[in-house]
Amino acid sequence: MEIISKVSLGSRMDQVYIPKNRIGFDIGNYVIIKPLNLEIEKKPLEKIYFYRIKNIVSIKLEIINEVFIIIDKYVQNYENIIITGSFLEEGFHFNDIDVLVLTEDKISLNIISLDVKKKTGINGHILVLSSKALVRGLEADPLYQMMLSRCVAQKRFIYKTKPALNYKLLDLHLFKSKTLLDNFDILNGREKYNLVRNLVAIYLYLNKKKITVESVDGEIKNIFGVNVLKIKDNVLDKKDFIRKYKLIYNKSFNLILRGIEHGSK
Amino acid sequence: MVQNRNKLIELFIGNLFNSIVHEILEKAVSKELVADKYRKELASSFEIARMYREKINPVNRSLSDKDVFYIKNKIVARVKSELMIRISKGYENIDLELVELLTDKALKDVKIS
Repeated sequence: MEIISKVSLGSRMDQVYIPKNRIGFDIGNYVIIKPLNLEIEKKPLEKIYFYRIKNIVSIKLEIINEVFIIIDKYVQNYENIIITGSFLEEGFHFNDIDVLVLTEDKISLNIISLDVKKKTGINGHILVLSSKALVRGLEADPLYQMMLSRCVAQKRFIYKTKPALNYKLLDLHLFKSKTLLDNFDILNGREKYNLVRNLVAIYLYLNKKKITVESVDGEIKNIFGVNVLKIKDNVLDKKDFIRKYKLIYNKSFNLILRGIEHGSK
Repeated sequence: MVQNRNKLIELFIGNLFNSIVHEILEKAVSKELVADKYRKELASSFEIARMYREKINPVNRSLSDKDVFYIKNKIVARVKSELMIRISKGYENIDLELVELLTDKALKDVKIS
């Protein structure tokens, strides 16, 4: 791993700044600084783009880098590779690594997932989409917005989308969260959290609020009065939780029905 | 947790009902649907229904005609009622003819009928 950086002027001492999110170069390590011949090497060896990621440990960056190398090996033409989901949360409470590959090509997902598992020890959850499909998802689906609100990408991206409320799609997505009401006792904490997150993201979206991982988790705390960790740990007061869940579910469903009634999509 | 047979049947019905409504709504919006692998991770009602089925005796063969009649009628009625809420608000493309077909298929798949 090499990092190319510029010597900056300081008041008492000059310095070389390096990114906070990096592989290696831990605090306290000794390093060599030497002049670079810019004619030979202009580009840094590695560039990763971070979106709303404050900190990420270097072991995770190494894994991300490995995933990028694997995808690059199997997919000839792709527009971007995006890592998202619980893998990017602090700590190591993830089940898999969510990888979004933007390409028009058909990909053998099993081979890639197996290679990711073999080289990183983590299950690769690979989602393949065309850029057009991603834009459509971002326009109509709050979960897509949340997915890209915190991510790591191989290339810089900007998606300009116009939010389009598609009430039938939202109805379909909301209906999945009904599962929690009938099965509270048998679902584990992670399953409950996924269903609550789906519900609250739709609720916020219907109320034209911004959808990010933070805003959804914050709203879950507001509505249910519990930290999302309590949901993931499956330590909930069933009666109180179900009452609030039903309330938000019904509010969302009524907004959707009103949208359908008024002839929107 | 020990649950009695009637309770298990009701839980089974609730989950199969969810699964069938979802399938019909999915067909109604299929053209607008974007790949949804994210939500495919969500707990699937059909799989939960299957899990409850495995706890309802007899496990390895069909239930009695009386049970099948009760379960099927209850699912069909609930699904139709859920879909009618939407149709009454102007939701188009919902195919009510699928209700019985999908219910029969699902009940066969889980060895209820």
